[in-house]
Amino acid sequence: MSNSILSAQDLSKVVPVAEGELTLLHPLSLDLQAGDSLAIVGSSGSGKSTLLGLLAGLDLPSQGRIVLDGLELATLDEDQRAAVRAERVGFVFQSFQLIDSLSAWENVMLPLELAGRRDARAHAQQLLERVGLAQRLRHLPRQLSGGEQQRVALARAFACNPAILFADEPTGNLDSQTGERISDLLFELNREQGTTLVLVTHDERLAHRCHRQIRLEAGHLLASVEP
Amino acid sequence: MRTPALLSLALSLLWRERSAAEVRTLFWSLLIAVSASCSIGFFSARLQEAMVLRASEFLAADLVLSGSQPASVAQIDKGQALGLQHAQSVEFPSMLASAQGLQLASVKAVAAPYPLRGELKSTPRRFAEEQAGGLPQPGELWAEARLAQALGIEPGARIEVGAIELTLTRLLTYEPDRAGDFYSLTPRALINLSDLAATQVVQPGSRVRYRDYWRGSAEAVLAYRQQTKPGLAAHQQLLDARGGNTQVGGALSRAERYLNLASLAALLLAGVAVALSASRFATRRYDTSALLRCFGLQRRQITQLFCIQLLALGLFASLLGALLGWLGHLGLLHLLGGLLPEELPAVGWLPALAGIASGLITLAGFALPPLLNLGRVSPLRVLRRDLQPLPVAAWLSYALAIAALGLIMWRLSLDWRLTLALLGGGLFACLLLGSLLWLALRSLRRILENATLSWRLGLGQLLRHPLAATGQAMAFGLILLAMGVIGLLRGELLDNWQNQLPSDAPNHFAMNILPEQRQAFVSALEQQGAQSQPLFPLVPGRLIAINQQAVQQLVSKDSQGERAIQRDLGLTWAGDLPAGNKLTAGTWLGTTRSGLPGVSVESKLAENLKIQLGDRLTFSIAGQTREVEVSSLREVDWDSFQPNFYMVFAPGVLDDLPLTYLTSFHLPKSQEDALLPLSRQFPSVTLLQVDAILEQLRSILAQVSLAVEYVLLFVLAAGLCVLFAGLQATLDERLKQGAILRALGSSRRLLQQARLREFALLGTSSGILAMLGCELVSYLLYHFVLDIAWQPHPWLLLLPLAGALLVSLAGSLGTRRVIHASPLSVLRES
Repeated sequence: MSNSILSAQDLSKVVPVAEGELTLLHPLSLDLQAGDSLAIVGSSGSGKSTLLGLLAGLDLPSQGRIVLDGLELATLDEDQRAAVRAERVGFVFQSFQLIDSLSAWENVMLPLELAGRRDARAHAQQLLERVGLAQRLRHLPRQLSGGEQQRVALARAFACNPAILFADEPTGNLDSQTGERISDLLFELNREQGTTLVLVTHDERLAHRCHRQIRLEAGHLLASVEP
Repeated sequence: MRTPALLSLALSLLWRERSAAEVRTLFWSLLIAVSASCSIGFFSARLQEAMVLRASEFLAADLVLSGSQPASVAQIDKGQALGLQHAQSVEFPSMLASAQGLQLASVKAVAAPYPLRGELKSTPRRFAEEQAGGLPQPGELWAEARLAQALGIEPGARIEVGAIELTLTRLLTYEPDRAGDFYSLTPRALINLSDLAATQVVQPGSRVRYRDYWRGSAEAVLAYRQQTKPGLAAHQQLLDARGGNTQVGGALSRAERYLNLASLAALLLAGVAVALSASRFATRRYDTSALLRCFGLQRRQITQLFCIQLLALGLFASLLGALLGWLGHLGLLHLLGGLLPEELPAVGWLPALAGIASGLITLAGFALPPLLNLGRVSPLRVLRRDLQPLPVAAWLSYALAIAALGLIMWRLSLDWRLTLALLGGGLFACLLLGSLLWLALRSLRRILENATLSWRLGLGQLLRHPLAATGQAMAFGLILLAMGVIGLLRGELLDNWQNQLPSDAPNHFAMNILPEQRQAFVSALEQQGAQSQPLFPLVPGRLIAINQQAVQQLVSKDSQGERAIQRDLGLTWAGDLPAGNKLTAGTWLGTTRSGLPGVSVESKLAENLKIQLGDRLTFSIAGQTREVEVSSLREVDWDSFQPNFYMVFAPGVLDDLPLTYLTSFHLPKSQEDALLPLSRQFPSVTLLQVDAILEQLRSILAQVSLAVEYVLLFVLAAGLCVLFAGLQATLDERLKQGAILRALGSSRRLLQQARLREFALLGTSSGILAMLGCELVSYLLYHFVLDIAWQPHPWLLLLPLAGALLVSLAGSLGTRRVIHASPLSVLRES
């Protein structure tokens, strides 16, 4: 029996524009096993983020089907997809996307509370300690450096032991040294929790740390590489 | 860059950004500000015209030129050249004689088309049905019933007027231009102007009042007023509806003040909305500004560029707003159709121009400060996005806003004391209550840590940024405060009118009650179920000297002062200050320096005759002279339908003189039959009906009250505008938060709950601020401006609830996009 956690078949995305239609993503298929890590690489505008959005259930494809952890996303409405995200999916974004009005602690507690976890507070504290921010629990995002904010985002992403983690340019807004530390932390946590990882990046070094890479160009899947 | 190129760049950039949310919000705020201001402007201008038209009835014309000598030919020609309708009257006192007796009367000679506004009313015999219209024909005389009674005659009898005999044909019951002066002491006789010469009464030196009545379009009347006023002779004066009658004049000026105040509130609220959206407009253009600086534009040019955009946007919104305002007022007039006169006078485009000017001034005062920041953006921002421009000095922002408000206040010619009390009180309330709220929010922060997720999400923003939250609560509080104060004033205004004309306001005056009839008359009134005011002793007398100087030499060309010395005044005495009177100087009939008995003088008359405390006044009363010293000045509520007096003497000064009593009473319309037995029982008592003027006043006040209520709607619209602008200002942040939460798997319900909690708390805090602010402002207003005893207003407790509902509703609507924020946008922003 296949251990597929994420599978996409004939996935495409077309959006209407003034001149007619614009194809953001030409039909492609892929399959990801539990515990795998996949890097999606490509130049700007190649369709990387579009593909990530579709795979994570943030958007719906124009054609094709996506099955995430046994659930076909297209058959679910937005609230049901939100519930899937709350239970099984973690996110890390390029611009951290922390909620400004919540402290670091509360930002990490957020997905735990959304999942109804009673130990949200204690678990969030452990995670922040794990990412080296034990002293920064009550700080607001604006009181933290970029690297620290991304660590909070990592702690938040792994808070619910997600089956799959989507990371969109996780080191894109950081200097190379800080970026390096963040990617180390990302892969460490990934290993510890056995999470499946889907990563969008420009950074070839980061991409090489994944089990598989796919390259997109102008919405076409060019190559699938297994290093 | 040359100016035309800059202009074209500014306009094309604005055009490209026309769909940007902040451009739209700025546009809408201004559009609503100008349309509210114009609607109020057009509506109140037309309503005032309509009310003036009705009030003109009390003058029998739109404008009256009155003098002790006939108007000059040039003055008459001017009016006729302007196409005004003209009528004349000549009024003089004369002793009339019948076969049975003699009586001094105030004779008025009139000819068609008098009266130019309103109608005479008369009856063919006593207590017969009143008929409107008509005029005494040559050879005829119409007399008030009390005159006929004094002369012992009925219609059909002959009366001598000077050298001729006329026939009493009808009993005069209502004379439009005497309505405001209905308790004049001498009874009226009306004759035809063509009989005047034959009476030979009017001789050089006679006391005569010539009146020229004018009626026509508002423009022509105004032109006549402007052309005639500078050349008025010392004995002449011009009277219009505003100055002609104290009751109507008072009601009109109060209504005008209220409407203007509401207009100011609408503009102030719109100003806040403009400030909020302009601030967002500016913040979102920091990048553009930095980029243009990189491309080589100078700081000055950047400022010019955005000022051109602001002006273009302002002009477009203002013009459209003026058009909408005009349409809005038409809708309002349509709604009030049944209550307004059928033909409302047109008011020209002045309200539109004034509305546009107010809009642009508001824009300059409230939007310029954030926009000036744009010129200060460093070009380095293209590399470092966190670089913020140095903000424009706070004093400049405030000075511009205050200057804008000052200009608008000047335009609305608002009472500066009232406005300052409101603005000052509002500012003080903001600072005081804002600080309290800030402290309260800070202390709530600890509690939040243990709250549930929806509470933390909802209130996190408020409690983590108490300063910003306080600002927001104060902006929303200002809406409720403005609406509360306007509502409060409306209540006071309506109560005031209600008190002035309660349903049981006296509708009859009884004069000439002899001392021996006093008890019997009161009992008779009680028997008929009439509600009577106290009886005042009355002695007719004339003021002849002030500090031993003949009063004729002292009189200013003022209507009241002049009228007061040209006729007998009703003099009375009282031990206590009469109800509705208020001492403004001195003590009530206290001891005087000279040891002379004291007299209390009505303060406006004192001002006109330059009478001061301690002055000695000499009166000629029934052939005797009496000297008294002014011991106090009094304000009199002329709006009340109760006997009022210019001079109230200390008891004991006039007791020995022949006196009668005067009172007013209310008799329900259904019981008017009771008048006949009353007049039979007391034949010497003169009964005067004032129902007509009461009804006329009531109908004017009903119109104004309705207008006042509708004006509240405009203030509400402006308030909602602030609310939406305020929400827009935080929308970006909310959308981002909504998208993150959705991406992390939050349900829409959770977002909705959090939002509702936030808005409910914000609305409740705003409501509490507004409630306390309202009480503070009303206290200042009552205490320092309106001189009304202040009492707490329990209904204001509803404001926090109203605030919670209003802000929750508007907040949910204004930020509904947050619920539907696509979680995908978190990737796009990356």
